[in-house]
Amino acid sequence: MHRRQLLAAPALAVLARPAVAQADQRPVVTIAVQKLSNSNTFEPPREQSNVGFRLHGLYAEQLVGTDWLRDARLVPGLATAWRRPDAATLELTLRQGVRFHDGREMTAEDVAFSFGERLFGTRGASGAGTSTVLAGTNSKEPPAEVIAVGRRTYPGLDRIEIVDRYTVRFVNRTPDVTLEGRVAQSVGAILSREAFAAAENWLAWGRIPVGTGPYRIAEFRPDTMLVMEAHDAYWGGRPPARRLRFVEVPEVSARVNGLFSGEYDFACDIPPDQITVVERNSRFEVLGSPINNIRKFSFDKTHPVLADARIRRAMSHAIDRRMLVETLWAGRTVIPRGMQLESYGAMYLADWENPRFDPAEARRLLREANYRGEPIPYRLLNNYYTSQVANAQIAVEMWRAVGLNVQIEMRENFTQVTARTPGRGVRDWSNTSIFGDPVAGILRALGPRTEAERNAEWTNPEFDRVATALEAETDMERRRAQFRRILEIAEREDPCYIVLHQAAAFTAKRRDIAWRAANGWAMNFGPGNLRVGA
Amino acid sequence: MLRFVASRIARAALTISMVVTFAFIVLRMSGDPAQIIMGADAPPEAVDAFRTAWGLDEPIWVQYLSYFWAILQGDLGRSMRDGRDAIVLVTERIPATLALTLPALAIKIGLGIPAGIYAALHRNSLADRIVMVVAVAGFTVPSFVLGLLLVLLFAVQLGWLPSGGQESWRHAILPVVTLGLGGAAVLARFTRSAMLEVLGQPFIRTASAKGVPWRAVVVGHALPNAAIPTVTIIGFMVGSLIAGAVVVESVFSWPGVGRLLVVAVGNRDLAVVQCVLLLVAVTMVCSNLIVDLLYGLLDPRLRGAARKAA
Repeated sequence: MHRRQLLAAPALAVLARPAVAQADQRPVVTIAVQKLSNSNTFEPPREQSNVGFRLHGLYAEQLVGTDWLRDARLVPGLATAWRRPDAATLELTLRQGVRFHDGREMTAEDVAFSFGERLFGTRGASGAGTSTVLAGTNSKEPPAEVIAVGRRTYPGLDRIEIVDRYTVRFVNRTPDVTLEGRVAQSVGAILSREAFAAAENWLAWGRIPVGTGPYRIAEFRPDTMLVMEAHDAYWGGRPPARRLRFVEVPEVSARVNGLFSGEYDFACDIPPDQITVVERNSRFEVLGSPINNIRKFSFDKTHPVLADARIRRAMSHAIDRRMLVETLWAGRTVIPRGMQLESYGAMYLADWENPRFDPAEARRLLREANYRGEPIPYRLLNNYYTSQVANAQIAVEMWRAVGLNVQIEMRENFTQVTARTPGRGVRDWSNTSIFGDPVAGILRALGPRTEAERNAEWTNPEFDRVATALEAETDMERRRAQFRRILEIAEREDPCYIVLHQAAAFTAKRRDIAWRAANGWAMNFGPGNLRVGA
Repeated sequence: MLRFVASRIARAALTISMVVTFAFIVLRMSGDPAQIIMGADAPPEAVDAFRTAWGLDEPIWVQYLSYFWAILQGDLGRSMRDGRDAIVLVTERIPATLALTLPALAIKIGLGIPAGIYAALHRNSLADRIVMVVAVAGFTVPSFVLGLLLVLLFAVQLGWLPSGGQESWRHAILPVVTLGLGGAAVLARFTRSAMLEVLGQPFIRTASAKGVPWRAVVVGHALPNAAIPTVTIIGFMVGSLIAGAVVVESVFSWPGVGRLLVVAVGNRDLAVVQCVLLLVAVTMVCSNLIVDLLYGLLDPRLRGAARKAA
C-alpha cells in the first residue's frame, strides 16, 4: 500500500460509515417475551409449546404454510402446489429459488433430510429408535424425544421419494386425508442439510437451525436474549426489520414497564387484566385474538363421585361460560362450539352446541344421581393458564350454587396434578389444534395412546373405536359423522371435559407500529406485516 | 488448630451432603422432570423417551447412588434442559450475579454501618429517628416491591435508567440499589443495637472518666466490641453472594445464578439445581468459617479461650 493510500484509509473509513448506516434504514425491533425457549434450542420438534410456536415461523418454514393472520387455512409455503396420486401419497412441487440462511438453494434433498435423518436419526422413520443420546451433545443423532415427536406427528410415514430436484412424494403406509395438515406443522420445517452436516453436534445445530424464514438466528444467550437478523434473500420479499431482538423478561409488570419506558417495542404474554393498564396510556395498544387452543375442565371418571356421568353432566350445566369470558377475558375471546374450531373447514360441525348453562337441569341431575354433597377434589396450578386461579374460584362458586361441593387443592406442577393417587377429580387442561382437523385436536388428547388414556383419567371403548376409524377414514361425510359421534360421547353421554372458551394471546405494542397479531401463537414480522412510525 | 480445622471441614462436608441429599429427594418427589421439561402438550412417547434417556425410570435409590458416586468423582451432572455440564451452566452465570451482589454488598456496608453508628451516637435525636424509620422501611419492604417502585420512578417516569436486562453498566444500577438498600437497612439496625449495648457498658464509662477523648473511646473501644454481631450479619451476606439475588434477578430480568435457579427448579432440572445448592452451601460454610476466624481477631477473650482450650 502506498503512503497516500495509507493516510487516506482512516478518512475513507470514517466517510464510509454513514454510507453503510444509510444502506439499511430498517428498524431494529425489540420484543419482550416471558420465555425464549424451554429447551434452549430452536429445533421445532424439541420446542412444541407456545414458546416455540411463537418463533418458529420467523426462521423456519414448512412445505405447506398456515395463514395465521386470517383464518388459519393451509396455503402454499415452500411448496407451490401439491396433489394426491392416491389416499396414502402426497406429491409436492417445491418453490424454486428459495435460499437457506446459509445461501444455498433449497431442493428435494433438503426435504428428504428434514423428514429423514434430522427428524428420525440414522435409523429412519421406521427404524428401531433406540437412541440413548443425552440431548444430542455427543453426536448428531437427535435426542430420543425428538424422534418420538416425529413419529407421533407422522405416524404412518413410510418414506420420502425424490421425484426430481423440485418434486417430492410423501408416501404413507396407510391412507391419511390429513397429510397436508401434518406437513404444515412446525415439526415439518425444512432445514438445511449442509448446515446440519457442518455442525459439531446435534445440540450446536439445534441452537441455530438454518432454515428459510425471513430472519436468521444470529445470537442466542439462554434465558436472556435472542437476536435474529433479516434474511434479505428471503423468497417472500425483503423483511421489514433489520433485526429482531427478543429479550426474556419473566415478570409481566417488568414487560409492561419496559414497554412504557421505551425499551421494548412489543411486550408479549399480556394477561387480560393488564389490557386496560396498557391502554390507559394512549401511546400503546394491546392486540390479540382467540387462538387455536381451547381451555377446558377435565374429569377423572375413576373418581368415586365422578364415576356417575350425571354428576359430570350437572357440572357442565352449572358453568356460565359467557360470564367467565366477560369477566376474566374482557370479552376478548370466544366460546367454541364444542372441542372444534372453525378452521376445521369441511370437518367443522356448525350446528354443534355446548351443554347449555342451566342450573335447574344441573340440580335435577344431582337429585337423580342422589348426590349428597360428597367432596370433589380439584387439583389446581397457580396460573399456569391465564387467569387460571380466578377461573377456578368462579367455577367453584358456580358449582356451589347448584349444590356441588368442589374443593380446590393447589399443586405445583402437572405431575402432581395428574398423579394417579386418591383425590384426583377435576383439573384444568387445554387442547391445541395443531392443524384444522379433529385428528389434530381432540384426538391428540383423548383416545388410544393419548395422555388421558395413559393417566387413566377417562376411557370409553366406543370413543376409541370411532376415533381409530376416523383417523383412517377418507370419505368426508363418514368422517363428519364419526366426529359428531365422538363429540356426543365426550361432551354429552360420558363427559370427559367441559369446554370453556378459546384461549387468546395478547401482545402490547406501540401504537405507531403497524402490525397485525396472528390467530395463533405465531408472531409474524415478515414482509407486509410491520411498519414502524405508522 | 489442625483438629479444629479438620472438625470444621468434616462438619462442612456433612452439611453439604445433607443439603445435596435433601435437595435430591425433594426435587424427585415433587415432580417428574420429563413431564415438566417436555411440557404439558408433549406426546406420551416423547416423555417416555426422555425419561429413559435420563435414567428417570430407575428406582430413586439407584438414581441417588449414581448421583452421589458421580459427585464424589467431581461430576456434577448435565442439564436435562440442554445437555450441557451443570457446572459450566452455573459458573458462567456467577460473574453476572457477582456484578450485582458485590456492589450491593459495598452499599450495604458503606451505608448501613455508618448510619447505624451515627444513629447510636445520636440516640433519640431526630437524626436517629429518621435513620431508624428509613431502616425499618428498608427491610420491611420486600425487594420485589422496592425494585418495581424504583423502576416506576427511574425508568418509566423519569426515563433515566433501563428497567431490566443486562446490556450495559446502567442496567445494573437499579438492581444493585434494590439489593443494597434492603441490606443496608438490616445492617444499620444491627449496628445501632450493638453500638448502644456497648456504649452502655462500664468500660466505656471508665474510659470516658479517665479523660480519653470521646472519638478515641468510640473508635478504640466501642466499635471493635460492637463489631462481632455486625460481622456475623456481614458473614451471612457474603455467604449469600451467589444466590442471594433470586427475586431481584427475576424482577430485573438479570441472567444470574438466581434466575438460573428459578428456571431450573421450575423445570426440575435436577443437576443444575443441585449444583447451585452445592455451590451455595460451600459458599455459606466458607463464609461462616471466615467469620469464626474473624471473631478471634476482633475479640481477645476468644483468642485467650482458644489458647486455654489448647
